Amino acid sequence: MFNKLRIGKKGENIIFGTFVLLYIGWCVNSPDMNIESLKSVLTIGLSVGIIYGLVALGISLIYTGLDVVNFSHGEFFMIGAFAGLTMFNLLGNQDWIFNIFPDAYGWIIYVVCLFTAFVSMGLFGVFIERVFLRPLTKKGGGYTVAGMGIIICGFGLSVVLINVAYLIWNPVAKPFPAELGLPMEIGGLFLPITYIWMIVVGLSVAAGLWFFLNKTKMGLGIRAVAYSKDVSNLVGINVPLYISIIFGIACAIAGIGGTLVGPTYQVVVFMGYIILMKAFAAAVVGGFGNLPGAIVGGFTVGIFETASSFYISGSHKDLYAFLLMIVVLMIKPTGFFGVQVKMKA
Amino acid sequence: MLKIDQLISGYGSVQILNGANMKVEKQSIVALLGGNGTGKSTILRAASGLIRSWKGTIEFNGEQIQNLPAHEIVGRGLVQVTQGKDVFPAMSVTENLKLGGFILKSKQQLSDNLEKVYNYFPRLNERKDQLAATLSGGELQMLCIGRGLMSNPKMIMLDEPSAALAPQIVLDIFKNINRIRQDGLTVLVVEQNVRMALLLADYGYVIKDGVINVEGDSKKLMYDESVKESYLGGTKANV
Repeated sequence: MFNKLRIGKKGENIIFGTFVLLYIGWCVNSPDMNIESLKSVLTIGLSVGIIYGLVALGISLIYTGLDVVNFSHGEFFMIGAFAGLTMFNLLGNQDWIFNIFPDAYGWIIYVVCLFTAFVSMGLFGVFIERVFLRPLTKKGGGYTVAGMGIIICGFGLSVVLINVAYLIWNPVAKPFPAELGLPMEIGGLFLPITYIWMIVVGLSVAAGLWFFLNKTKMGLGIRAVAYSKDVSNLVGINVPLYISIIFGIACAIAGIGGTLVGPTYQVVVFMGYIILMKAFAAAVVGGFGNLPGAIVGGFTVGIFETASSFYISGSHKDLYAFLLMIVVLMIKPTGFFGVQVKMKA
Repeated sequence: MLKIDQLISGYGSVQILNGANMKVEKQSIVALLGGNGTGKSTILRAASGLIRSWKGTIEFNGEQIQNLPAHEIVGRGLVQVTQGKDVFPAMSVTENLKLGGFILKSKQQLSDNLEKVYNYFPRLNERKDQLAATLSGGELQMLCIGRGLMSNPKMIMLDEPSAALAPQIVLDIFKNINRIRQDGLTVLVVEQNVRMALLLADYGYVIKDGVINVEGDSKKLMYDESVKESYLGGTKANV
C-alpha cells in the first residue's frame, strides 16, 4: 500500500523509524521494564536470534544459489540436532575421554557433536540435492528456476523427513544434557553457559562462512554461480557441483544450529517447522538473499520476539516474528539490506 | 580447429538450427553473420555446451565436444565471450578477471595472464579496483573479452562485441581482436554489424533460418549481391 504513495527510500526509513520508536515507547512503559529484565531480554534474544540467523543464512544461500526457497530447511535443522544428540549418546559413556581430559571433557564432547552435525548434515544435504532436487532442476532447464515444482518438492520432503525422523527417534522430546559448566555471571545476571555457546559458535560459523565466501577460490566460484549460471559455466566453473556444495553448506549450517539449540531446549521431531518459519521471517526482515542481512534479521527477530513476550504479552510468543515480517514487508519490502545489484544500463 | 557438421539444436522443443555446417581454420578470424533470430548465438551456445546439441557433431582440435559439460569445454581451450554486459556487477574488475582464470591451477599463471589482459586493455588496469557495475559499455565489453582470455584459450568465440557501442569504441575493440589473433589465437565473431565484421575477418558465413546460406572470403562476401541486399543496407528487404 505504501508503494502506491511513492514515499521513496527516505520516507520508508522515516515510517519504519516511527514504528520502532512507538514500539520502544510501548516496551518502556511496561511495568516489567527494568535493567535486569532488559539484560535477560538481550541475551535470550541474541542467542535465539543467532539460531534463526543461522537457519536464515542457509535459506538465503540456497535462494541465491538455486533460486528457490527451500521449505524443508527446518528438517535439516531438526535432523542435525538428532545427529548431534546421537554422537553425544555414543560418547557420553566412554570413560577414556573422561580419563584423558578430566577438566574439559564436557565441552570436548560437545565440540565433537557440533562437528558431527556439521559434517553429516553437509553430506546429507548433498545427497538430498543430488537425488531429489537435481532431476527437478534439470527439468526446469539448466540449473535455475524450476518454479513451483521444486517448492512443492520442498514441502513434501519436509513431511517425509519428519516422518522418517519420527520412525527412527519417536516423538518423545529428548534431553541433550551436555555438561558445559556452571552458569556464567555477566553483569549481575546468571546465564546458562549454553546461551554463550550459541552466540559464540553461531557468530563464528557466520564469520567463517563470510571468510570462505570472500577469501577463497571456491567462495569466489560460489558467488559467481549465485549471480549467473551461464557466465559461471563459460568461465569453466563446474556449476552442478557448486550447486551441490551450496546446498550442502546451507544444510551443514542448519545442522550446527540444531545441535546448538539442543542443550537449552530439547530435541524433538517437530522442532524444525517453527524454526523454519521464524528463519523465513528473519531472512525477509534482513533482506532475502542477503547473507549478512540474514544474521542481522535473525538478531532482530530474536530480540523483538523476546522483548515482546516479556513486555507485551507472553502468551502469543510465536506471533511476533510474523508481525514484524508483515510490517517490514509493508514498509520496507526489500528488508533492511535488500540485495543490491546495481547495473548501469 | 573448430568444425561444426550438420548441427541441429534449439531451446526446449523449439528447433533453431536445422543442420548448420561451418569450419574455422587455426589462427584465423571468422565472422558469423545474420539477422535477428537466425541462430547465430545458438551455434555459439551449442559449441560452448550451454545447450544440448540434438544431432550433428562439433569437433574441436580433432575431438568431438558436443554435449560435454560446459566447464570441460572451457578446459579444452574453447571459450565463449558472452554478449556485452554479462559481468558480475558486484565484484571488482580484478575479481571478474580472476574468475575468468578459474580453471588455472597456479597463481603465477593467473597473475601473468592478468598482466597480459591489462596489456591488451590498459583501461581495465586504470579501473581494476572499481566494481564492474560502474564501468561504461565499452569497458564492460573489454572486461568480457579480457575475462575470456584469462584461461589461456586456444580459441575464443565473441557474441556481438559491437552491440550498443559507439563506432569509435567498436573500432578500438576490433583492433584488439586483431591483435589477439596475431598473438596466436583463433577467433570466431558473431556480428550484426556486417560491414565492420567483414573488414576484420578472413572468412565469413551468413546464417539464415538455422542453416548456412552463403559463405566465402570476406572480401568476396562484401561484394556479394545477396549479402548486400539482406544485410549491407540494400533497399530491398529480404523476407
